Amino acid sequence: MADMAGKGIRIEGLRKRYGKGDTALDALKGVDMQVAPGEVVGLIGPSGSGKSTLLKCLGAVIEPTAGRMTLGEEVIYDNGWKMPDLRALRRDRIGFVFQAPYLIPFLDVTDNVALLPMLAGRANAESRKRALSLLEALDVAHRAKAMPSQLSGGEQQRVSIARALVNRPPVILADEPTAPLDSERALAVIRILNQMALQYETAIIVVTHDEKIIPTFKRIYHIRDGKTQEEAGEGRAFE
Amino acid sequence: MKFLSINRRMLALLAVVLPLLALLIYVALRSGPFASIPVTVTTAESRSIAPSLFGIGTVEARYTYRIGPTVAGRIKRVEVQVGDRVEAGQLLGEMDPVDLDDRIASQDAAVKRAESVVLAAGAQVREASARKSYAENQASRYEQLLHARSVSEEAVEGKRQERQVTEAGFAAARANLDAARQELARVRSDREGLIQQRANLRLIAPVRGLVAARNADPGTTVVAGQSVVEVIDPASLWINVRFDQLRVSGLRAGLPVQIVLRSQEGIRFAGRVLRLEPIADAVTEETMAKVTFDALPERLPPVGELAEVTVAMSALPATPVVPNASVQRVDGRLGVWLIVEDKLRFAPINLGATDLDGRVQILDGLKADERVVVYSQRALGPRSRVKVVERLEGVSP
Amino acid sequence: MISLAGRDILHSWGKFVFTGVGLGLLIGVTLTMAGVYRGMVDDAKVLLDNSGADLWVVQQDTLGPYAEPSSLYDDVYRTILGMPGVDRAANVTYLTMQVRQGERDVRAMVVGVVPGGPGEPGQPGYLIAGRQITRGHYEAVADIATGFKLGERIQIRRNHYAVVGLTRRMVSSGGDPMVFIPLKDAQEAQFLKDNDAIAQQRRRTASNPAFNRPGTPGLLDAVLASQSVNPYINAVLVQVKPGFIPEEVAEPIRRWKRLQVYTRAQMEEILIGKLISTAAKQIGMFLVILAIVSAAIVAFIIYTLTLGKIREIAVLKLIGTRNRTIAWMIMQQALGLGLIGFVVGKISATFWAPIFPKYVLLEPGDALLGFAGVQVICALASVLAIRAALKVDPAEAIGG
Repeated sequence: MADMAGKGIRIEGLRKRYGKGDTALDALKGVDMQVAPGEVVGLIGPSGSGKSTLLKCLGAVIEPTAGRMTLGEEVIYDNGWKMPDLRALRRDRIGFVFQAPYLIPFLDVTDNVALLPMLAGRANAESRKRALSLLEALDVAHRAKAMPSQLSGGEQQRVSIARALVNRPPVILADEPTAPLDSERALAVIRILNQMALQYETAIIVVTHDEKIIPTFKRIYHIRDGKTQEEAGEGRAFE
Repeated sequence: MKFLSINRRMLALLAVVLPLLALLIYVALRSGPFASIPVTVTTAESRSIAPSLFGIGTVEARYTYRIGPTVAGRIKRVEVQVGDRVEAGQLLGEMDPVDLDDRIASQDAAVKRAESVVLAAGAQVREASARKSYAENQASRYEQLLHARSVSEEAVEGKRQERQVTEAGFAAARANLDAARQELARVRSDREGLIQQRANLRLIAPVRGLVAARNADPGTTVVAGQSVVEVIDPASLWINVRFDQLRVSGLRAGLPVQIVLRSQEGIRFAGRVLRLEPIADAVTEETMAKVTFDALPERLPPVGELAEVTVAMSALPATPVVPNASVQRVDGRLGVWLIVEDKLRFAPINLGATDLDGRVQILDGLKADERVVVYSQRALGPRSRVKVVERLEGVSP
Repeated sequence: MISLAGRDILHSWGKFVFTGVGLGLLIGVTLTMAGVYRGMVDDAKVLLDNSGADLWVVQQDTLGPYAEPSSLYDDVYRTILGMPGVDRAANVTYLTMQVRQGERDVRAMVVGVVPGGPGEPGQPGYLIAGRQITRGHYEAVADIATGFKLGERIQIRRNHYAVVGLTRRMVSSGGDPMVFIPLKDAQEAQFLKDNDAIAQQRRRTASNPAFNRPGTPGLLDAVLASQSVNPYINAVLVQVKPGFIPEEVAEPIRRWKRLQVYTRAQMEEILIGKLISTAAKQIGMFLVILAIVSAAIVAFIIYTLTLGKIREIAVLKLIGTRNRTIAWMIMQQALGLGLIGFVVGKISATFWAPIFPKYVLLEPGDALLGFAGVQVICALASVLAIRAALKVDPAEAIGG
């Protein structure tokens, strides 16, 4: 294990209750998780297990009921948000990779990626340079000026990964990133994620139930009924 | 390579947006408050104009003779038709004499009777005269005898008395003769009168001319003064023209005119103003004048036909002249719009005469060679911006 | 920071421009409707301006001469000329009728004016071709809207007139173009009918024993002569001397001459308040409805455009775009749409307005008002869309 102190993401005793009184539903009943920078862990669970809720809490999209979340060196949640600007948090410190690429159709590939640093206030030229370097790293730089609709599915996915990485967030949340892909491409995506995680020292949590890629994780968190359980994965190397 | 794809799209968008903007600017400049008003200009030139007067008149005969009876009666015969030419003294018609002929005949008889009475009275005078002579002779003889004391006083008185009686008888017979002569004269005069009246029933043409109207046919009863036949002298046709009083200055007898008859529109006849009527029409505010033809048209126009008369007046001395379309009234003052160094300026003026083509004299306020606005697309104001054009749009040459 | 609104527009510019043009045509129709309304009011004002008068003297107790028929004797103007403050007084007649030229006839308002020279009340103020009337008979100045050209011969009732001058924008309050002829000819036209009718009238009079007495030979002729003379006019137009107030000049005429006198303000009130008010209200109501419908359509269009981007908006929110940025993107697009729509609308209104048979007056004030209105409506419409956009839960981007 890499040195965890002050890096990666750490969750302690996270709870989330929906509703009040008799109709209350406890989606998360005390979740503990930690992921080190450079690590790619799997988060596996059936539907209704609180998987999505956990992801939304991790993504600072909904507010947990109790617990503690630490991102890098900052405590972002401790029985209440400790950050005033959640949006900025999402923009700068958390990266998202979705099932579908969700690229902005009216921006070209470079600007789709460069949008995030621009939103963070960086100059346009610098943002684009950053974006371009990431696109190169992901081997889609030759499509830098194309519009998203002109790219293949795999290329779009790689662009969305670039977008997730561009602000160098400490954590990336990937929600079923390989679901629509065949095994070859799915493994390719996982390989890229692992590469990027190491290269940019990012902790990556991959929510998935894709049998094709589960063997690749070294660590897996199972979530059931609002509680997680850590388990060692096969960590199979990529073909 | 980087710029190309963006640029193509940009270009496409610009290709739509730029013309749109250009159109908008064009629209704002042409029709908005920034638009300048197209005007045409002319240069005021100094020239002399010959004003003319224009009037409408009707053809009339100088004299119209309306011939009719002097007493009410019935028309017996009319000898002429409309359009006949008649000589002076020609019989045109006759009224029904009714009993007039009989009365003349009776008057003839009365004259004859009076003549006989005069003869008888003459004979009586002779008889009375003879008696008187005899009685006088007797009386003087007896007076001589009285001197000779041959007869008695009484006998002499008797003879003297006889003499007086016969003298009186003679005087009476003479008076009787005078009365009979007067009576004869009276019935003769009556007869003359009746004959005159009878003559009066004949309608005679007073002059040589043309029958213009036949107002009543035989058998019609007419009153005194009603005209039965109207005769005019066609050589005496003239035109009674009316001129609007506003424009008649300078009209006087002797001016040459051009006459256009309504039925012969292409032909202009020459004529002359005969006289200006001293009495104008106060109701219609027109001055009337009589205009004669220099030479009568071959086809005589009927009386009552309309004629357009243009009187040419003498040319006036040269002054600056502008078309009357340039003259406008602004704020109660008459003037023209001048273009002075590409700016509009209103110059009040005093007008002089105009001619029938619309040229108007400027007596003061304008000099020759100044540029004057003639036509404008919109009403002009002191702050209007103008643009000089050859011709206004929508107006064909 | 790039302009999200700009990029979106650039990406689907065809749809945007197409929507803008459609919107623009709708706005153009609304602007044109406002122009029709203004044109009607302007027709009335122009009629008053063109007569060149400060006062209108008409028959007592009538609203004439435009709103009601009015008859005055034609020598009344002489007494009016003598009133204090009166600078010029001129007779005038108005009659709306068909004017024939060749094979066709045109509906026009025939105005009888005193051919006293330029600047007389009633005469057209400015010409676009030809000259003013100089002869006292059988000349005419026509408005270009009649379609007559210089030199043509037109027929009014029984007489023919030569067109010697052309004017522009000389119209009656109903929008009919004007034809100016000398007053005496107009009086004849107004009251004398055609030859058949005159012959009938003569026959009727001759068969009336009251007029056709045998004992009075000249009577019938005198009666017929009086029947063919028309001493009436419709109004006297008065210009007041500088320095006099029109109302003060009008009052003595009203009181002592038993005539009705209207000042310019009162004539406007009559024309606009009574004569055209119904038609104006009709158009006004339609304008309001049109504006509301336009607003609704604009709102609908913008709302739909925004809803089509809901997915992108959710993603943007998730990856950290500020609400403000998203709202501004939507508002910018709405305002841009409004701008394109207004430009298209103004241009199309300007180009198709002259085709309308009656005058359409597109005032720049209306255009500015329209522009402001369009932008306000677009902004408000975008607010609705923005509310919908901001309500989007970024969590929806994350499935399940």
